[in-house]
Amino acid sequence: MATFATSADRPWKDPDLEPNAIEYNSNVLQLFMEGLDCQPPGQVLDLGPVCQENISFFARRVKRLYVCDMFIRLERCLGKGDSVGRIWQELDYPPESFDGILLWELADRLDDKEVRTLVKLCHTILKPGGMAVVLVLGEQIARFGVNSFVVGQDFKVRLRPQPHLHLPIRSRQNRDVLAMMTPLNPAKSFICRPGFMEFLFTRD
Amino acid sequence: MLKKNKKVNTDTAPSHVPAPVEGKTIIGEQITIDGTIQGKEDLLIEGSVKGRIEVEAHRLTVGSRGQVEAEIQAANVTISGRLVGNINATGKVEITKEADFNGEIKAKSISVEDGAYLKAVIELEREPGKKPVPAIKPEDKSASEPVKEPLILAGKSTGKS
Repeated sequence: MATFATSADRPWKDPDLEPNAIEYNSNVLQLFMEGLDCQPPGQVLDLGPVCQENISFFARRVKRLYVCDMFIRLERCLGKGDSVGRIWQELDYPPESFDGILLWELADRLDDKEVRTLVKLCHTILKPGGMAVVLVLGEQIARFGVNSFVVGQDFKVRLRPQPHLHLPIRSRQNRDVLAMMTPLNPAKSFICRPGFMEFLFTRD
Repeated sequence: MLKKNKKVNTDTAPSHVPAPVEGKTIIGEQITIDGTIQGKEDLLIEGSVKGRIEVEAHRLTVGSRGQVEAEIQAANVTISGRLVGNINATGKVEITKEADFNGEIKAKSISVEDGAYLKAVIELEREPGKKPVPAIKPEDKSASEPVKEPLILAGKSTGKS
Protein backbone atom coordinates (compact mmCIF):
# COMPACT_ATOMS: atom_id res chain seq x y z
CA MET A 1 0.00 0.00 0.00
CA ALA A 2 1.11 3.56 -0.58
CA THR A 3 2.34 5.62 2.32
CA PHE A 4 2.20 9.37 2.52
CA ALA A 5 4.85 11.82 3.61
CA THR A 6 5.72 15.40 2.90
CA SER A 7 9.26 15.68 1.67
CA ALA A 8 9.61 19.44 1.90
CA ASP A 9 10.84 19.45 5.49
CA ARG A 10 13.49 16.76 5.12
CA PRO A 11 16.90 18.38 4.70
CA TRP A 12 19.58 16.00 3.44
CA LYS A 13 22.64 15.73 5.62
CA ASP A 14 25.08 13.67 3.61
CA PRO A 15 26.71 16.02 1.08
CA ASP A 16 27.41 13.06 -1.23
CA LEU A 17 23.68 12.47 -1.41
CA GLU A 18 22.69 15.98 -2.35
CA PRO A 19 20.71 15.92 -5.59
CA ASN A 20 23.29 17.98 -7.46
CA ALA A 21 25.86 15.26 -6.76
CA ILE A 22 23.73 12.42 -8.08
CA GLU A 23 24.04 11.19 -11.61
CA TYR A 24 23.47 7.88 -13.33
CA ASN A 25 23.32 6.39 -16.79
CA SER A 26 19.73 5.92 -17.85
CA ASN A 27 19.14 2.65 -19.67
CA VAL A 28 15.45 3.38 -19.99
CA LEU A 29 15.96 6.72 -21.72
CA GLN A 30 18.42 5.11 -24.09
CA LEU A 31 15.87 2.41 -24.96
CA PHE A 32 13.18 5.06 -25.26
CA MET A 33 15.20 7.05 -27.80
CA GLU A 34 16.26 3.91 -29.67
CA GLY A 35 12.60 2.94 -29.90
CA LEU A 36 11.72 6.35 -31.30
CA ASP A 37 14.60 6.19 -33.77
CA CYS A 38 13.12 2.98 -35.23
CA GLN A 39 10.22 4.88 -36.73
CA PRO A 40 9.63 8.12 -38.61
CA PRO A 41 10.15 11.21 -36.43
CA GLY A 42 7.27 11.28 -33.99
CA GLN A 43 5.72 13.16 -31.13
CA VAL A 44 6.73 13.00 -27.49
CA LEU A 45 4.96 14.45 -24.45
CA ASP A 46 7.02 15.57 -21.45
CA LEU A 47 4.98 15.99 -18.26
CA GLY A 48 7.66 18.03 -16.52
CA PRO A 49 9.00 19.63 -14.45
CA VAL A 50 10.11 21.90 -17.27
CA CYS A 51 13.81 21.54 -17.85
CA GLN A 52 15.80 23.51 -20.41
CA GLU A 53 18.25 20.72 -21.12
CA ASN A 54 15.55 18.10 -21.62
CA ILE A 55 13.53 20.33 -23.91
CA SER A 56 16.57 20.90 -26.12
CA PHE A 57 17.56 17.23 -25.94
CA PHE A 58 14.21 15.80 -26.98
CA ALA A 59 13.02 18.60 -29.28
CA ARG A 60 16.07 18.10 -31.50
CA ARG A 61 15.45 14.37 -31.75
CA VAL A 62 11.70 14.17 -32.37
CA LYS A 63 9.39 15.88 -34.80
CA ARG A 64 7.40 17.70 -32.16
CA LEU A 65 7.95 17.86 -28.43
CA TYR A 66 4.89 18.60 -26.32
CA VAL A 67 5.55 19.93 -22.84
CA CYS A 68 2.79 20.12 -20.27
CA ASP A 69 4.26 20.58 -16.80
CA MET A 70 1.88 18.64 -14.55
CA PHE A 71 4.13 19.10 -11.52
CA ILE A 72 3.59 22.85 -11.38
CA ARG A 73 -0.09 22.37 -12.12
CA LEU A 74 -0.32 19.91 -9.25
CA GLU A 75 1.55 22.35 -6.99
CA ARG A 76 -0.85 25.19 -7.79
CA CYS A 77 -3.87 22.92 -7.48
CA LEU A 78 -2.83 21.67 -4.04
CA GLY A 79 -1.91 25.22 -3.01
CA LYS A 80 -5.43 26.41 -3.79
CA GLY A 81 -7.03 23.40 -2.17
CA ASP A 82 -8.65 22.40 -5.46
CA SER A 83 -9.46 18.85 -6.46
CA VAL A 84 -6.44 17.20 -8.11
CA GLY A 85 -8.77 15.72 -10.71
CA ARG A 86 -9.07 19.14 -12.33
CA ILE A 87 -5.51 19.13 -13.63
CA TRP A 88 -6.15 16.24 -15.99
CA GLN A 89 -8.23 18.42 -18.28
CA GLU A 90 -4.90 19.94 -19.33
CA LEU A 91 -4.03 16.64 -21.03
CA ASP A 92 -6.70 17.26 -23.65
CA TYR A 93 -4.75 15.74 -26.52
CA PRO A 94 -6.45 13.63 -29.19
CA PRO A 95 -6.32 9.84 -28.80
CA GLU A 96 -3.20 8.10 -30.12
CA SER A 97 -1.22 11.34 -30.45
CA PHE A 98 2.12 10.34 -28.98
CA ASP A 99 4.92 7.91 -29.68
CA GLY A 100 6.28 8.47 -26.20
CA ILE A 101 5.36 10.04 -22.87
CA LEU A 102 7.87 11.07 -20.20
CA LEU A 103 6.09 10.76 -16.86
CA TRP A 104 9.30 10.87 -14.79
CA GLU A 105 8.31 10.55 -11.12
CA LEU A 106 4.84 12.09 -11.44
CA ALA A 107 3.12 8.94 -10.20
CA ASP A 108 5.10 9.15 -6.95
CA ARG A 109 3.42 12.51 -6.32
CA LEU A 110 -0.14 11.27 -6.74
CA ASP A 111 -2.47 9.06 -4.75
CA ASP A 112 -3.53 5.71 -6.19
CA LYS A 113 -6.78 7.00 -7.65
CA GLU A 114 -5.07 9.85 -9.49
CA VAL A 115 -2.32 7.54 -10.78
CA ARG A 116 -5.00 5.33 -12.33
CA THR A 117 -6.62 8.37 -13.95
CA LEU A 118 -3.23 9.47 -15.29
CA VAL A 119 -2.41 6.02 -16.66
CA LYS A 120 -5.79 5.76 -18.35
CA LEU A 121 -5.19 9.12 -20.00
CA CYS A 122 -1.70 8.13 -21.08
CA HIS A 123 -3.04 4.89 -22.53
CA THR A 124 -5.57 6.88 -24.54
CA ILE A 125 -3.16 9.45 -25.94
CA LEU A 126 -0.33 7.01 -26.66
CA LYS A 127 -0.22 5.47 -30.11
CA PRO A 128 -0.28 1.66 -30.28
CA GLY A 129 3.30 0.60 -29.58
CA GLY A 130 3.99 3.90 -27.85
CA MET A 131 6.25 4.06 -24.81
CA ALA A 132 6.05 5.65 -21.37
CA VAL A 133 9.02 6.38 -19.07
CA VAL A 134 8.27 6.11 -15.34
CA LEU A 135 10.65 6.62 -12.43
CA VAL A 136 10.02 5.33 -8.92
CA LEU A 137 12.30 7.09 -6.50
CA GLY A 138 12.04 5.27 -3.21
CA GLU A 139 12.42 6.89 0.18
CA GLN A 140 16.15 7.66 -0.02
CA ILE A 141 15.95 9.80 -3.15
CA ALA A 142 12.43 11.08 -2.58
CA ARG A 143 13.48 12.87 0.61
CA PHE A 144 15.36 15.35 -1.55
CA GLY A 145 12.06 16.85 -2.63
CA VAL A 146 11.08 17.34 -6.27
CA ASN A 147 13.86 17.21 -8.84
CA SER A 148 14.08 17.43 -12.56
CA PHE A 149 16.01 14.62 -14.21
CA VAL A 150 18.38 16.44 -16.49
CA VAL A 151 19.37 14.32 -19.48
CA GLY A 152 22.89 14.84 -20.75
CA GLN A 153 25.24 13.26 -23.22
CA ASP A 154 25.13 9.45 -23.48
CA PHE A 155 21.93 9.47 -21.41
CA LYS A 156 23.73 10.49 -18.26
CA VAL A 157 21.07 11.88 -15.94
CA ARG A 158 21.62 14.21 -13.01
CA LEU A 159 19.11 15.48 -10.51
CA ARG A 160 18.37 19.18 -10.18
CA PRO A 161 16.24 20.36 -7.25
CA GLN A 162 13.05 22.24 -8.00
CA PRO A 163 12.67 24.40 -4.90
CA HIS A 164 9.46 25.96 -6.18
CA LEU A 165 7.73 22.57 -5.97
CA HIS A 166 6.65 21.15 -2.61
CA LEU A 167 4.76 18.03 -3.52
CA PRO A 168 4.03 15.06 -1.27
CA ILE A 169 5.71 11.75 -1.97
CA ARG A 170 3.98 8.39 -2.05
CA SER A 171 6.34 5.49 -1.49
CA ARG A 172 5.19 2.32 -3.20
CA GLN A 173 6.38 -1.20 -3.71
CA ASN A 174 7.38 -1.98 -7.28
CA ARG A 175 4.59 -4.51 -7.64
CA ASP A 176 2.09 -1.80 -6.66
CA VAL A 177 3.52 0.48 -9.33
CA LEU A 178 3.27 -2.25 -11.95
CA ALA A 179 -0.33 -2.98 -10.96
CA MET A 180 -1.30 0.68 -11.18
CA MET A 181 0.23 1.11 -14.63
CA THR A 182 -2.23 -1.39 -16.13
CA PRO A 183 -3.25 -1.42 -19.01
CA LEU A 184 0.25 -0.31 -20.06
CA ASN A 185 2.67 -3.23 -20.34
CA PRO A 186 6.04 -3.29 -18.59
CA ALA A 187 8.78 -3.56 -21.22
CA LYS A 188 11.94 -3.03 -19.19
CA SER A 189 12.90 -2.10 -15.66
CA PHE A 190 16.23 -1.14 -14.14
CA ILE A 191 17.34 -0.66 -10.57
CA CYS A 192 19.47 2.46 -10.24
CA ARG A 193 19.95 2.08 -6.50
CA PRO A 194 17.87 0.45 -3.77
CA GLY A 195 14.37 1.78 -4.14
CA PHE A 196 15.12 3.88 -7.22
CA MET A 197 13.88 2.26 -10.39
CA GLU A 198 13.32 3.18 -14.00
CA PHE A 199 10.49 1.57 -15.95
CA LEU A 200 9.63 1.54 -19.62
CA PHE A 201 6.02 0.72 -20.39
CA THR A 202 4.46 0.18 -23.79
CA ARG A 203 0.96 0.31 -25.16
CA ASP A 204 -0.33 -2.70 -27.15
CA MET B 1 1.40 54.57 -24.33
CA LEU B 2 3.80 53.84 -27.16
CA LYS B 3 7.23 55.07 -26.19
CA LYS B 4 10.69 55.13 -27.66
CA ASN B 5 13.45 54.37 -25.27
CA LYS B 6 15.90 56.26 -27.45
CA LYS B 7 14.78 59.62 -28.63
CA VAL B 8 15.73 61.02 -32.02
CA ASN B 9 17.02 64.54 -31.91
CA THR B 10 14.60 66.10 -34.39
CA ASP B 11 16.25 69.49 -34.08
CA THR B 12 19.45 68.37 -35.77
CA ALA B 13 18.35 65.48 -38.00
CA PRO B 14 17.44 66.49 -41.57
CA SER B 15 13.71 65.96 -42.05
CA HIS B 16 14.09 64.32 -45.49
CA VAL B 17 16.45 61.57 -44.29
CA PRO B 18 14.85 58.65 -42.40
CA ALA B 19 16.45 58.47 -39.01
CA PRO B 20 18.06 55.08 -38.33
CA VAL B 21 16.55 54.59 -34.90
CA GLU B 22 17.94 51.52 -33.16
CA GLY B 23 15.52 51.75 -30.30
CA LYS B 24 12.71 49.77 -28.89
CA THR B 25 9.02 50.40 -28.85
CA ILE B 26 7.31 49.86 -25.53
CA ILE B 27 3.63 49.11 -25.23
CA GLY B 28 2.88 50.26 -21.74
CA GLU B 29 0.90 48.57 -19.03
CA GLN B 30 -2.23 50.66 -19.60
CA ILE B 31 -2.38 50.05 -23.36
CA THR B 32 -4.62 47.47 -25.05
CA ILE B 33 -4.22 46.69 -28.73
CA ASP B 34 -6.46 44.47 -30.83
CA GLY B 35 -5.12 43.94 -34.34
CA THR B 36 -1.86 43.55 -36.21
CA ILE B 37 1.42 45.08 -35.15
CA GLN B 38 4.19 45.24 -37.74
CA GLY B 39 7.54 46.76 -36.98
CA LYS B 40 11.18 47.04 -37.83
CA GLU B 41 12.57 47.41 -34.37
CA ASP B 42 12.48 45.61 -31.06
CA LEU B 43 9.19 45.58 -29.22
CA LEU B 44 8.50 45.30 -25.48
CA ILE B 45 4.94 44.59 -24.41
CA GLU B 46 3.87 45.34 -20.87
CA GLY B 47 0.24 45.92 -21.81
CA SER B 48 -2.38 43.75 -23.53
CA VAL B 49 -2.17 42.72 -27.16
CA LYS B 50 -4.50 40.47 -29.12
CA GLY B 51 -3.98 39.67 -32.78
CA ARG B 52 -0.79 39.36 -34.79
CA ILE B 53 2.74 40.64 -34.17
CA GLU B 54 5.37 40.80 -36.91
CA VAL B 55 8.82 42.11 -36.03
CA GLU B 56 10.61 39.70 -38.27
CA ALA B 57 14.23 40.75 -37.90
CA HIS B 58 13.89 41.94 -34.33
CA ARG B 59 13.23 40.93 -30.75
CA LEU B 60 9.83 40.72 -29.15
CA THR B 61 9.72 40.79 -25.37
CA VAL B 62 6.58 40.08 -23.39
CA GLY B 63 7.37 41.74 -20.08
CA SER B 64 6.29 40.39 -16.72
CA ARG B 65 3.10 42.48 -16.84
CA GLY B 66 2.39 41.74 -20.48
CA GLN B 67 -0.71 39.82 -21.58
CA VAL B 68 -0.52 38.66 -25.18
CA GLU B 69 -2.81 36.50 -27.26
CA ALA B 70 -1.27 36.50 -30.72
CA GLU B 71 0.46 34.86 -33.65
CA ILE B 72 4.06 36.00 -33.52
CA GLN B 73 6.79 36.31 -36.15
CA ALA B 74 10.10 37.57 -34.80
CA ALA B 75 13.81 36.89 -34.84
CA ASN B 76 14.02 36.37 -31.10
CA VAL B 77 11.34 36.22 -28.45
CA THR B 78 11.59 36.59 -24.67
CA ILE B 79 8.57 35.75 -22.53
CA SER B 80 8.24 36.83 -18.93
CA GLY B 81 4.51 37.52 -18.90
CA ARG B 82 1.48 35.66 -20.18
CA LEU B 83 1.41 34.56 -23.80
CA VAL B 84 -1.16 32.43 -25.56
CA GLY B 85 -0.42 31.82 -29.22
CA ASN B 86 2.08 30.52 -31.70
CA ILE B 87 5.63 31.75 -32.14
CA ASN B 88 7.65 31.46 -35.30
CA ALA B 89 11.15 32.65 -34.52
CA THR B 90 14.20 32.54 -36.77
CA GLY B 91 16.45 32.72 -33.72
CA LYS B 92 15.99 31.95 -30.06
CA VAL B 93 12.95 31.82 -27.80
CA GLU B 94 13.62 32.49 -24.13
CA ILE B 95 11.04 31.66 -21.47
CA THR B 96 11.72 32.93 -17.97
CA LYS B 97 10.46 31.47 -14.72
CA GLU B 98 7.79 34.19 -14.48
CA ALA B 99 6.29 33.21 -17.82
CA ASP B 100 2.92 31.58 -18.45
CA PHE B 101 2.98 30.25 -22.00
CA ASN B 102 0.46 28.18 -23.91
CA GLY B 103 1.02 27.57 -27.60
CA GLU B 104 3.41 26.40 -30.29
CA ILE B 105 7.03 27.39 -30.74
CA LYS B 106 9.05 26.99 -33.91
CA ALA B 107 12.56 28.26 -33.38
CA LYS B 108 16.22 27.62 -33.95
CA SER B 109 16.85 27.27 -30.23
CA ILE B 110 15.06 27.65 -26.94
CA SER B 111 15.86 28.35 -23.32
CA VAL B 112 13.42 27.75 -20.49
CA GLU B 113 13.96 28.57 -16.84
CA ASP B 114 12.89 26.10 -14.17
CA GLY B 115 9.54 27.16 -12.79
CA ALA B 116 8.03 28.49 -16.03
CA TYR B 117 4.34 27.61 -16.39
CA LEU B 118 4.29 25.88 -19.70
CA LYS B 119 2.01 24.04 -22.05
CA ALA B 120 3.79 24.04 -25.36
CA VAL B 121 4.44 22.29 -28.62
CA ILE B 122 8.07 22.78 -29.56
CA GLU B 123 9.74 22.28 -32.91
CA LEU B 124 13.46 22.95 -33.10
CA GLU B 125 15.97 22.25 -35.83
CA ARG B 126 16.43 18.50 -35.63
CA GLU B 127 19.64 16.55 -35.30
CA PRO B 128 20.45 14.24 -38.21
CA GLY B 129 18.67 10.88 -37.91
CA LYS B 130 20.39 8.03 -36.15
CA LYS B 131 20.77 4.46 -37.29
CA PRO B 132 17.63 2.47 -36.53
CA VAL B 133 17.86 -0.20 -33.86
CA PRO B 134 15.58 -3.16 -33.12
CA ALA B 135 12.25 -2.27 -31.57
CA ILE B 136 11.58 -2.99 -27.91
CA LYS B 137 9.40 -5.96 -27.13
CA PRO B 138 7.35 -6.30 -23.95
CA GLU B 139 9.01 -8.43 -21.30
CA ASP B 140 7.61 -11.79 -20.43
CA LYS B 141 7.35 -12.67 -16.75
CA SER B 142 10.52 -14.75 -16.79
CA ALA B 143 12.53 -11.88 -18.20
CA SER B 144 11.27 -9.33 -15.75
CA GLU B 145 14.24 -9.52 -13.40
CA PRO B 146 15.56 -5.99 -13.08
CA VAL B 147 19.06 -5.34 -14.33
CA LYS B 148 21.26 -3.67 -11.80
CA GLU B 149 22.70 -0.35 -12.80
CA PRO B 150 24.95 1.27 -10.19
CA LEU B 151 24.28 4.87 -9.33
CA ILE B 152 27.27 7.17 -9.58
CA LEU B 153 27.57 9.78 -6.87
CA ALA B 154 29.90 12.56 -7.94
CA GLY B 155 32.10 10.13 -9.84
CA LYS B 156 31.95 7.41 -7.20
CA SER B 157 30.03 4.21 -7.69
CA THR B 158 27.69 3.34 -4.85
CA GLY B 159 26.86 -0.07 -6.21
CA LYS B 160 27.47 -2.54 -3.42
CA SER B 161 27.36 -6.25 -4.01
